[in-house]
Amino acid sequence: MKRYQLGEFEEVVMLTVGILHSEAYGVSIKKEIEKRLSRNVSVGALQTALRRLEDKEYLRSHEGAATEERAGRPKKYFQITALGKRAMEYSKSTRDELWSAIPKLAWGLKIIGLEGNL
Amino acid sequence: MKRTLPPHLLLRFFRWFCHPKLLKYIEGDLMELYSERLKEKGKRTADLRFIFDVLLLFRPSIIKPTEGYKNLNSYGMLKNYLKISWRNLLKQKMYSFVKIGGFAVGVAACLLIALFIKDELSYDQHYANHKKLFRVLGVISEDGASKKGVAFPAPMASALKEDFPEIVETGRYNNSELFGAGSSEVRVADKPDNAYDEGFVYFDQSLVNMLQLKFIYGNPEKALSEPNAIVITKRKSDKYFPGENPVGKLLVINDQADRTYTIGGVIEDFKPTSHLQFDFLIGMVGLEFWKDEQQYWGASNYATYVLVEEGTDIPSFEAKLSNQILENYFLPMMLEEGQSEADARKFFKDTNAHMEMQPIDQVHLYSFGVDDSLVHGDIRIVWLFGGIALFILLIAAINFINLSTAKSANRAKEVGLRKVSGSFRINIINQFLSESVMFSLISFVLGLMIALLTLPYFNMISGKSIVIPWTYWWFTPSLLVLSVFVGIIAGIYPSFYLSSFMPIQVLKGNLTQGAKSSPLRSTLVIFQFTMSIILIISTMVIYRQMNFILNTKIGFEKDQVVLLQGTNTLKSQVVTLAEELRSLPGVVNVSNGDYIPVRGSKRNGNSFWNEGKVNIDPGVQSQFWRIDPFYLNTLGIKLVEGRDFNSDLASDSSAIIINERMAKELGGDLLGKRITNYAGLWTVIGIVEDFHFESLRENIIPLGLVLGQEASVLAVKLNTENMSDNISAIGHVWEKFAPHQPMRYNFLDDRYAAMYDDVQRMGKIFTSFSVLAIVVACLGLFALSAFTVEQRGKEISVRLILGASVNSVFQLLTWNFVKLVVIAFAIATPIGWYLMTKWLQDYVYKTELGWDIFAVAGSMAILIALITISYQSLKAAWMKPITNLRSE
Repeated sequence: MKRYQLGEFEEVVMLTVGILHSEAYGVSIKKEIEKRLSRNVSVGALQTALRRLEDKEYLRSHEGAATEERAGRPKKYFQITALGKRAMEYSKSTRDELWSAIPKLAWGLKIIGLEGNL
Repeated sequence: MKRTLPPHLLLRFFRWFCHPKLLKYIEGDLMELYSERLKEKGKRTADLRFIFDVLLLFRPSIIKPTEGYKNLNSYGMLKNYLKISWRNLLKQKMYSFVKIGGFAVGVAACLLIALFIKDELSYDQHYANHKKLFRVLGVISEDGASKKGVAFPAPMASALKEDFPEIVETGRYNNSELFGAGSSEVRVADKPDNAYDEGFVYFDQSLVNMLQLKFIYGNPEKALSEPNAIVITKRKSDKYFPGENPVGKLLVINDQADRTYTIGGVIEDFKPTSHLQFDFLIGMVGLEFWKDEQQYWGASNYATYVLVEEGTDIPSFEAKLSNQILENYFLPMMLEEGQSEADARKFFKDTNAHMEMQPIDQVHLYSFGVDDSLVHGDIRIVWLFGGIALFILLIAAINFINLSTAKSANRAKEVGLRKVSGSFRINIINQFLSESVMFSLISFVLGLMIALLTLPYFNMISGKSIVIPWTYWWFTPSLLVLSVFVGIIAGIYPSFYLSSFMPIQVLKGNLTQGAKSSPLRSTLVIFQFTMSIILIISTMVIYRQMNFILNTKIGFEKDQVVLLQGTNTLKSQVVTLAEELRSLPGVVNVSNGDYIPVRGSKRNGNSFWNEGKVNIDPGVQSQFWRIDPFYLNTLGIKLVEGRDFNSDLASDSSAIIINERMAKELGGDLLGKRITNYAGLWTVIGIVEDFHFESLRENIIPLGLVLGQEASVLAVKLNTENMSDNISAIGHVWEKFAPHQPMRYNFLDDRYAAMYDDVQRMGKIFTSFSVLAIVVACLGLFALSAFTVEQRGKEISVRLILGASVNSVFQLLTWNFVKLVVIAFAIATPIGWYLMTKWLQDYVYKTELGWDIFAVAGSMAILIALITISYQSLKAAWMKPITNLRSE
């Protein structure tokens, strides 16, 4: 469905914003993803994704306080909107559907295949 | 604590490219990460990671967009300006039409004239050495007027080359009809049929080298170096030898089969922008027109060109050259001819005889008054045209300014509102400037189209073959730059004026400044009409002079005379032909002679003395013509005293008929006396009335007529208007005599009129320009009057209701404008009079500059203006008053 399009990285960001709840801003999101998924996230990639999600109205933002280590720049906190929540649910349900549609046999074959390769 | 900062340059770069909306948040993130890394991993790593982060942020969604919330340019505003301008343009179609239409006409006129001027200025620039090539001019002053000639004695070229180290090379040509140059009958040696052709000239091999003429066939260095060699142009090669290399082939000129010319080469046609225009260059090796002619200093027939060393100081060299040549060659010649040294020196001194060197790229435009039988342009015409084009553009620009300021009341509210919403004055100025640039661009496009459409007509009247130089790289950009420039110039005043409105006042509705006739607008209208009236006056004077030329008493009858050309190939048979033509019923008389009294015919300059005075008196500079006994009768030239030639009298072979001028110059009662020139002693048997055999620009000069035979022109005087029957009758006779040569003829009155082609051309061009100027000016006046009527609509309605007559309303509305035109007329009259007096100075014989010309021009201008205004004024006066008052 076109209406709820969500890329892989975008979904990760959305989920992380959800995890961090009211503490989701640039650096915290970056760190959370890096910690949980042990993958490097560049500021540029993250900001691009955040922008895109904001444009799609899956996230909304508000300005936070400025701190000293940020050289007086304010934080921008993100929250999931209702639309964003629906998009995430849609994404999860379509995936679940697809998961459940995979026949059991496929798993067995895959394992055999893996062993064969080893 | 002192903060450690990330790399400054990278931070600045980031701040520059980042979208301003995101900048502070992302910069905050970056700073937070930086300080954290600084603590954990040290400055080096932190810096490095920071650099990576910034570089990875350089992506489309982060980079600031070129439009949107905050722009560095004012594209959006500009778009708005253009939109508003376009809407205004459509809303007021009539005013827009006047603005743009007038502008477009002005642009078209300017463009055409600019191309014309460019063409005129490009003459002879293509000759490789044009900076070092000069034409030698001989200058003498007589009766206060300086006469410039290009003809010099044959040996002068070689004398120049030998005597002056500054001169690298010299070359000559001789295009005098007297020597058989000009036009001839020509045929390929092995074919019987003659064809008529023009452009024959005697030409030095060295002149070919100096001009570096481009050869298609033949050796450029040796093409004319054999006796009887001839070089022809590409177009003539194509005519006589289609598709072959004609080098070595033979040509017969004027049926002289015993003397053939061998083609030594084929050159490219002379460019249209060359002052030299020839087709057959006959070599001069071994050529002598009489014994020792090539060494004779007493006859001047050769135009002489010199190629000087690089860096020669021309003025001082000119003086040195004049001095030495006069001293070493002309003086000895005059002494040899029997003059005393004192007389000769006195002649040099009295006439200030000297020589000038004219750069060949100036020959075309700066040869006014130079007697060289070439077709010239005139630098004054170039200036004049440039001025006129500028005036027309100016008149159109004035329309633009007038209408913009007049209509300002309609835009005042807009300006006020813009100011209230935060516009600065500069923004309003920008708006109106961009509007006028838009108008200008549209006008340029339209003007270009008009120019394109009228180019053939323009070429016809200017006698050029101009094309629009699309293919040149500079053309489009320069037009674009010009249109923006003109747009800004025309828009400056209106934009400053409109932007000066006070918002409060205009929004309260107090401002109707535009309605009042401002002094500036009146001045501009006066200026427009002054220009137009001057042009009308000029046109009328030019036409009157043309009329004068065509209808003045010129001393011979030019009507109904047919000139049969090329009879020289018939040799002695021409007498029989003349006899036979004379017996035709429609023919009055026939005369055989080359000396026709229109410019471009054969001429022969000579000195005459009274008998026995040869070495005592200075000679009278005269023309000396050989004619037949029927000449005076055929051309209707009147004898004042004495008698015509009589072919039965053997003694008439030494008789001479002179004109009154000659009689006056030689002095005394000459009838029956004897006078002399180089050719012999002549008894005066008759004196004829002076007749104009040259242009009316010049004085009639002394003339002596003696008997001679066998010429290339037969003048046939007819007695009826029925030309075609007579011509075909003549044609039948011609065919019997010259079956291999098609009959070629023209009419004497046409040839006469052709002498004044340039005047006619001027007349046509001036007519076109005056019409253009007056049309554009009237367009402006029309729009202005429409505007006045619009503004004063209510006032007029009230007046009508209170009992004003249509007449009084009409007067009220027109008088203001007519007043301006009357003032313009008062200014234009003296200027026009002055300019036209100057122009007429070129003519010795000229029309009167009567008051009636000015009266007619003035009343014409006023009438045209009145008609223009009337439409709107009458519309207002005849209108039902209710229509304008209903709204309140």
